[in-house]
Amino acid sequence: MTATAERPTTTTIFRRPKSTSGLWGWITTVDHKKIGIMYGYAAFTFFIIGGVEALLLRIQLASANSEFLTAGAYNALFTMHGTTMIFLFVMPVGAAFMNYLLPLLIGARDVAFPRLNALSWWIFFFGGIFLYSTFIFGTSLPPITPGGISGNLAAGGGPGSFNFLAASPDGGWFGYQPNAGPLYSPGTAMDYWALGLQILGLASLISSINFIVTVFNMRAKGMRLLRMPVFAWMSTVVAFLLLFSLPIIAVALFMVTFDRQFGTLFFEPVGGGDPILWQHLFWLFGHPEVYILILPAMGIVSEVLPVFSRKPLFGYSAVIFAGAAIAFLGFGVWAHHMFASGITPVAQAAFGLATMTIAIPTGIKIFNWLGTMWGGRLKLSTPMLFAAGFVAMFTIGGLSGVTHSVVPSDWQQTDTYYIVAHFHYVLFGGAVFGIFAGLYYWFPKLTGRVMNPRLGKTHFWLQFIGFNLTFAPMHWLGLQGMVRRTWKYAPEAGLETWNVAVTIGAFIIALSIAVFMYNWIHSRRHGELSGLDPWDARTIEWTTPNPTPEYNFATPPEVTRLDHFWHLKYEEDEEGRAVRRAEADQVIADLEYDGLNPKHPIHLPAPSYFPIIMAMGLPLIGYGIIYHTATWGKVLIGVGVLISLSALIGWAIEPLEEPMDHGPEHDVDEFDEQIIEPSEEAEELVIDE
Amino acid sequence: MSDLAHEPAVGHPEHESTGIENRKLGMWVFLSSEFLFFGALITNYLLYSNRSGFEGIYPAEIYDIPFTSVSSFVLLMSSLTMVLAHNALSRNDQNGARTWLFATAALGAVFLGGQVFEFTEFIVEYGMTLSTNPAASAFYVLTGFHGTHVAIGVIMLLSLWGISRRQGGLSEKHGLNLELVGLYWHFVDIIWIVIFTVVYLLSVPV
Amino acid sequence: MTSDQHDNHPTPAQYWKIAGFLALLTAIEVSLFYIDHALGLGIFNAIMLLGLSAVKFLVVVGWFMHVRYEKPVISRFFTAGFVLACSLYLVVLAALGVVAIRG
Repeated sequence: MTATAERPTTTTIFRRPKSTSGLWGWITTVDHKKIGIMYGYAAFTFFIIGGVEALLLRIQLASANSEFLTAGAYNALFTMHGTTMIFLFVMPVGAAFMNYLLPLLIGARDVAFPRLNALSWWIFFFGGIFLYSTFIFGTSLPPITPGGISGNLAAGGGPGSFNFLAASPDGGWFGYQPNAGPLYSPGTAMDYWALGLQILGLASLISSINFIVTVFNMRAKGMRLLRMPVFAWMSTVVAFLLLFSLPIIAVALFMVTFDRQFGTLFFEPVGGGDPILWQHLFWLFGHPEVYILILPAMGIVSEVLPVFSRKPLFGYSAVIFAGAAIAFLGFGVWAHHMFASGITPVAQAAFGLATMTIAIPTGIKIFNWLGTMWGGRLKLSTPMLFAAGFVAMFTIGGLSGVTHSVVPSDWQQTDTYYIVAHFHYVLFGGAVFGIFAGLYYWFPKLTGRVMNPRLGKTHFWLQFIGFNLTFAPMHWLGLQGMVRRTWKYAPEAGLETWNVAVTIGAFIIALSIAVFMYNWIHSRRHGELSGLDPWDARTIEWTTPNPTPEYNFATPPEVTRLDHFWHLKYEEDEEGRAVRRAEADQVIADLEYDGLNPKHPIHLPAPSYFPIIMAMGLPLIGYGIIYHTATWGKVLIGVGVLISLSALIGWAIEPLEEPMDHGPEHDVDEFDEQIIEPSEEAEELVIDE
Repeated sequence: MSDLAHEPAVGHPEHESTGIENRKLGMWVFLSSEFLFFGALITNYLLYSNRSGFEGIYPAEIYDIPFTSVSSFVLLMSSLTMVLAHNALSRNDQNGARTWLFATAALGAVFLGGQVFEFTEFIVEYGMTLSTNPAASAFYVLTGFHGTHVAIGVIMLLSLWGISRRQGGLSEKHGLNLELVGLYWHFVDIIWIVIFTVVYLLSVPV
Repeated sequence: MTSDQHDNHPTPAQYWKIAGFLALLTAIEVSLFYIDHALGLGIFNAIMLLGLSAVKFLVVVGWFMHVRYEKPVISRFFTAGFVLACSLYLVVLAALGVVAIRG
């Protein structure tokens, strides 16, 4: 009776993979949901690693003149902490959400280019491994003076333990030249950094093209652009930011790789190169990048707040246009990262002014979120706590950001912990809180269960306290003169007390994350079943059963207005209050029944080997470039190119889906067994926390 | 209401919301990002070629304008053969399409040959390498990346030509691919239009 | 076949004419180069060369890449990328002292 999605089969020389479960199912999947899940787990793993890197830094800084880390190890740790958190955690976790949700939010079955989607994921996966292999293979040597004489900095940079880390990339996540160039960072560690980021950038660029075409072309009937959920809009804006900013960093990374490997002179002052050019190119990418990091979280918060305030988002159009404005203006402010680099006063004034203007659309969003909550019947479930926390913490971070836009003030703040405080408030207090809001909120879509509410609240409060204890003191530590990117401070500076507090805060954060991880793992198997629509939500991803069936919607939805699902359930009385429709429960039960029982065969794109194979070639090319002076290095480049090229050819020949073979095999997993009768599920669909 | 029994599958949507095929829209989106890529490289060249005081020879001192004019003309004409290929296919003239495809690839290869010749001249004759000075670095990297794009284009053109020969013509799916390769090819051409003027013609000191 | 929206699709003969026009412009560009070197046209050289290139650019985009006959969304994407690139890089060149912004 249940006709689940049919997997096409084929007979060619190499049999097309058919399985959709088990390890091969994951390796060959082109399903956006599976890809999103893989992104999520990988990103979270890197979150933990980046967190451990931070804890090591904090142990070092908890006491003055500490010798826990050498200078070299410290540099490596803050470089990799930043690089990991930005490129291997926040960006891919954003990709996880966008991958999983975008087709569901717009009523589609998958993205525009499913195999390309898998390719992006595998490129990211191998790129992350390639980057981290620097800890095994990378070398970081003392600088070479122009006369060719090796500098006198001891390997690792002085006394202290954890010297083995000193061989890793240590030029900062921003790779300023010529410090991270061939003269001052000889060895291979910064090549791993540059080529690793190059590979990762390619993954995101491909993704951005995919998402833009998906949003423009694959919306369900009636899903006009201005009826899309805010998260779908923010994903689109992020895709455009990626599309236009990644090529710039790609050029910059090629240039630094060529400087390091092939003797070009782009950033080498000795040969006439201009280090400021690097800063321009890097920040031309780097500033849009920070909006890439925050906009998905803003989108999540815009989804969560209305549901748990039981009110529509205040000023939907304004929130969307503000998001687009932030992105657009975000392209025009990059040199505010260079106020202290010697740019002209005219440039400083122009960029300072431009930076201030971004506060306007940001403020619009904040006021609209507040307006959403104001007068609503707030339900302080875990997602709502994190979303509200986002609004508060991000506002604080934004305010310190505005102080940076005042140029003379920025000159005092640059390279102090005040800046560190700012960006952690917006990136942790902002993006990370938003991410957790999304994880708790959409957990039922992934698993069919709800995360434990008490553990969730424990996580929130521990994280909230730990976060503020960690980063609030950094504001005044910075204003007192504590310098960034420096592995020691003197006892006379009087900075130790608050640094101890900061370190304690950092460990409290770690504890809160442990609580979250326990909750996640436990709730996946033992959490309370969510049923359909556990949060009484507004948008159409909740019209599909939980967990989401492979084919998303049994029947492609037809959308009639914004918050379509809400309006199926509720109508307004004379005073504008929401009144549940008499037939709402039947509507929901029918949706769930239809969702689990598609009437007709549904064609889905077939799995494929080629994305993972093609992605495998790239790190080989990377290794080959790093060691190209050796013959085996050149061979490795050739092998990598050959692998990727062959995969490309195979891919080009393989159709997206095979001709239908009646009686296909499909693997039945536990959820296929659910058969929902309408009358049973009509009751109690809303989870009370 | 869509007929569920014949519901179009993912990847072949019959009703794209924009009315433009996915792959075509994707190619246009990709090409618009390439402006940022080549823009950075051109900016880099403009910065360094306008800085005096470097040791070693500047590219602008050794350009062979007649030679480059000819190769620019060749690339420009390859855009003509490309549209003729597309045009032929749209009239189902498979043989014509194949011929013009090959002609485009051939002209592209001639252009590449010219680039190789130019680079060799510069290195062997004048001793200007990647490491001579930043202006030289910038020149080689800019034109090198452009040449790489041309080479990739030639490979794609020859692939389509090969498929056409093997299958006796291009199917509808490959017809779209020809259009997409054409867009890519024209883009590479317009970048060269900019490079020819900005890097060559306007760079040479009077 | 591919999108059937163009009834006013150029004919091969028209494509040849367009190509001839492009070749002519190129010839003028090269001539200008030599004229400038002989007579010193100053800023006009740059203006005319850039102008001619712009025309070639637009002709290839409009007719060969077919943008004239496509839906507006395509030209909007393409223009957006182009305008963004030009704006950003002009500012970078100004900041690095390569171009001077008067006023």
